[in-house]
Amino acid sequence: MPITVEIPKEKWAGKVREVVLGATAADGGTRAKTVVVGGEATLPFLHFDGAIPHPPALAIEVRDRRPDDWSPLVYEAWGEAMNDPAEWAKAAEKAGADLIVLTLSLTTADRKPNTPENAKAVVRKVLNATGLPLAVFGPGQAEKDNELIVPVAEEAKGEKLLLGVCEDKNYRTIVATAMANGHNVSSKTPMDVNLAKQLVILIHDMGMPLDRIIMDPTTGALAYGIEYGYSVMERLRLAALQGDSMTQQPMIVTPGEETWKAKESKVGEGVPETWGDWKRRAINWETLTAASLIHAGADAVVLRHPETLARVKAMVNGLMSAN
Amino acid sequence: MASHTITFQPSNQTVSAATGALLTEALRDAGLDINQPCGGQGRCGRCAVIVKDGSIRRRSTIRLTASDIESGYALACQSIVEGDAVILIPEQDQIERRLVTDKTAKAIAAPFPYDPARDQTVRAFAVTLDPPTLDDAVDDVSRLERALAARGIRHLQIPLPLMKELSARLRDAEWQVTATIETDTWRNPDGPPRLIDLIPGDGEGAAQRLFGVAIDIGTTTVSVYLVDLLSGEVVDTAAEYNKQIRRGEDVISRIIYAGKANGLQELSQLVRATINEVIKRLAQRNKVELWQICKATVAANTTMTHLFLGLPPASIRLTPYIPTVNHPLPVAAPEVGLDIHPRASVDCLPGVAAYVGSDITAGVLASGLADADDLTLFIDVGTNGEIALGTKEWLVTCACSAGPAFEGAGVACGMRATRGAIEEVWINSETFEPTFRVIGDVKPRGICGSGLLSLVAELLVTGVVDKGGRFKMDMATPRLREDEHGSEYTVAWAKDTDSGRGIVLTKVDIDNLMRAKAAIYAGFTVLAQSVGVDLADVQRVLIGGAFGKYINVEKAVQIGLLPDMPWDRFSFLGNTAVMGAYTALLSRDARAKIKDIAQKMTYIELSADNTFYDAFTSALFLPHTEMSRFPTVAALWSSERSPET
Repeated sequence: MPITVEIPKEKWAGKVREVVLGATAADGGTRAKTVVVGGEATLPFLHFDGAIPHPPALAIEVRDRRPDDWSPLVYEAWGEAMNDPAEWAKAAEKAGADLIVLTLSLTTADRKPNTPENAKAVVRKVLNATGLPLAVFGPGQAEKDNELIVPVAEEAKGEKLLLGVCEDKNYRTIVATAMANGHNVSSKTPMDVNLAKQLVILIHDMGMPLDRIIMDPTTGALAYGIEYGYSVMERLRLAALQGDSMTQQPMIVTPGEETWKAKESKVGEGVPETWGDWKRRAINWETLTAASLIHAGADAVVLRHPETLARVKAMVNGLMSAN
Repeated sequence: MASHTITFQPSNQTVSAATGALLTEALRDAGLDINQPCGGQGRCGRCAVIVKDGSIRRRSTIRLTASDIESGYALACQSIVEGDAVILIPEQDQIERRLVTDKTAKAIAAPFPYDPARDQTVRAFAVTLDPPTLDDAVDDVSRLERALAARGIRHLQIPLPLMKELSARLRDAEWQVTATIETDTWRNPDGPPRLIDLIPGDGEGAAQRLFGVAIDIGTTTVSVYLVDLLSGEVVDTAAEYNKQIRRGEDVISRIIYAGKANGLQELSQLVRATINEVIKRLAQRNKVELWQICKATVAANTTMTHLFLGLPPASIRLTPYIPTVNHPLPVAAPEVGLDIHPRASVDCLPGVAAYVGSDITAGVLASGLADADDLTLFIDVGTNGEIALGTKEWLVTCACSAGPAFEGAGVACGMRATRGAIEEVWINSETFEPTFRVIGDVKPRGICGSGLLSLVAELLVTGVVDKGGRFKMDMATPRLREDEHGSEYTVAWAKDTDSGRGIVLTKVDIDNLMRAKAAIYAGFTVLAQSVGVDLADVQRVLIGGAFGKYINVEKAVQIGLLPDMPWDRFSFLGNTAVMGAYTALLSRDARAKIKDIAQKMTYIELSADNTFYDAFTSALFLPHTEMSRFPTVAALWSSERSPET
């Protein structure tokens, strides 16, 4: 006698909001395509439970100038393109990135303080070089962030950039300029469910619509606190699905930045032989971190190495086609 | 447009006003000044007037109950002229008495009908002895015992120092003396009685005066009641900051300090000196001699009790958090350095655990929580916030470290709730200018706890600070400033203060206040959760602690210190710890009841798991990360403010 097994389905009360990054000409921008993040009505890849309308977006981090302290393995991968943000972004698009995250530096290549003029020029150049949606993050110092992001937001009005980084100590200026110029914002908080919710509330209180806010709950690399970051993301996502409105923002995390700080990725010499091949190890480190965070609910991951991008993309494609 | 005649009483001034004009505009035209601290937003209810005749339309009735409206009350700033009208402007204090959000502590009075013969353990017995003769040649002690036996005093213990003087005292007084006797203690309820003093005279004057002191040793503030033990009345009260503050603001830093060389002696000496100073001030002010103070009861948190007694508190801080003693035996005043009668006993009331001391057991007694029929929450807001929940059937309690902000300490311009303290603030939501009330109606000297929470609530509601407690520096007001020390809001300009220095609220002050309120809110939410009780089921909330005589519960709800529930469920009791000590000072039954309360309370350790920390970070927001817990604040938020653009 055939036995019918019914797979039990979770009934969730809420779902993740959708945020559109980038605007095509039809919407007043110049992007060749847009990326929608979020929208899930269930936990990652549980297609039988609920809709997962968009795959996680895979972003490549590009700097406005060649960074001084990145791993030689990343320099080797991108080569000369890293000397020019436009070339770098083009290479990233070619490598299969869905999104470019352009991080502005404190100083220019000639060691002078970065200026609004330079930031605007770089952003324009990158916009011209690629058709992908763009995120632009400041160097991470409140005053400098505000000084650079405001002119960038005005320069790229209508492009629906993702602007950052909004932190609890410094969010008002960036949110105000994002609202005035039609951009989205990234709300970054240090690995805590309550802090993540609180900053979303504060940004929303300023009048920013919720479908233009992405959360960055912060993460740690594999072996450097990933469990903690994973758990916070998982709790945020469960709260979102249970209907807690202020946790229903899509999440972006930066495994590239985190893993390439780790000794295991950064150092090739003077480490135990049992660690194995440096390059393989480093790319595994970034891949495993990113893959784990996607399973915790990340809607966008920011990567550095093109090989990682390819591997994570393969994983995502496989898991999405299991639909 | 039609014009109408508005008459204002009691001055009987008349003005004409057009249809649609606001009463406040008519008042201004009449040259009448009416309080509008919130700037005419209908928010504060301070501009209430009474419509005696005619018609006006009430645009908003927030702050007015149905019975208010029936008796003609209207808010001038929300009332629209529609015809001729006669308007009575009431006295301001009449308006404020009517406001249900303002909670003022009741005047201090004996909590029960006091009968010293029945209730008191330290009493004065005036006796006249038969002078000795050759026929009646019993010794002096027996003679005294014989006279006192007639008054029910048997097996009297006479301390040797007093015995040495007995012969002279009896003869100098010509055998008419008043014996001050401690008849019993909680430890020895059947006696024997102990002679404290023997004073010449049997009626008028010094001999017939007998006093006690009820003492609350707070981490931040020491409060003392001077009590007449014959009438049971409180003669006077006084309070002072605990001199230990200079050795650390909270109990943990005091415990650490006590572990240093001579640290314990120093802290003991500092707290004893504080108490002695306050007692001396009370005695001088009321023409009482220190030796006439023959009894003392002490309520304090466990650490303060240890430091007062000179017991090392180190183990209180270390898991599993065990104090030397929760219920100390009575000690003689000189043993703890108190400058009262040297044979007076000092009774430290019983506590429950390392972080739930006799301040909370005394507070539970004074609050009536132990007799409550309905589910009742008792919150003692102090440097250590103590919380008890229950009914007459059961009691659970916990403690959380709130810091001294609510007592006005550790705050840039903070002060105790005494003369010169700003105790309530309103901010105009268009100009961001504050209006405040100062205790004693003098130039302000600083801000007390109730003023602080009122100020932060107003800054939040008017949008000067965000829900994270940060000043929005882009707001257009000269009162917001930022320099290398941080940002601040000026409440009173230098020219308007007592000291000539401006009174400000800094970002750091807001942080301290938020941590304090978050600790207390998290404390009672976790406590309720631990016994499976929904906070909404709490029928009464009793508030004790450091707020002086006044708290505005609405403001306390707006910042998320108190749960959002109907205002009539809240009662403000003032300093319940010293009230409980006072009750225990008067009555051996009350004293016994505190012991029962201490035994009945179940202590919940908040540090046992992560629940408290989670609740704390969630509460570290204005009013709370879960806005759904504060529906009335959420409603105010959406009605008062459209999102910024």
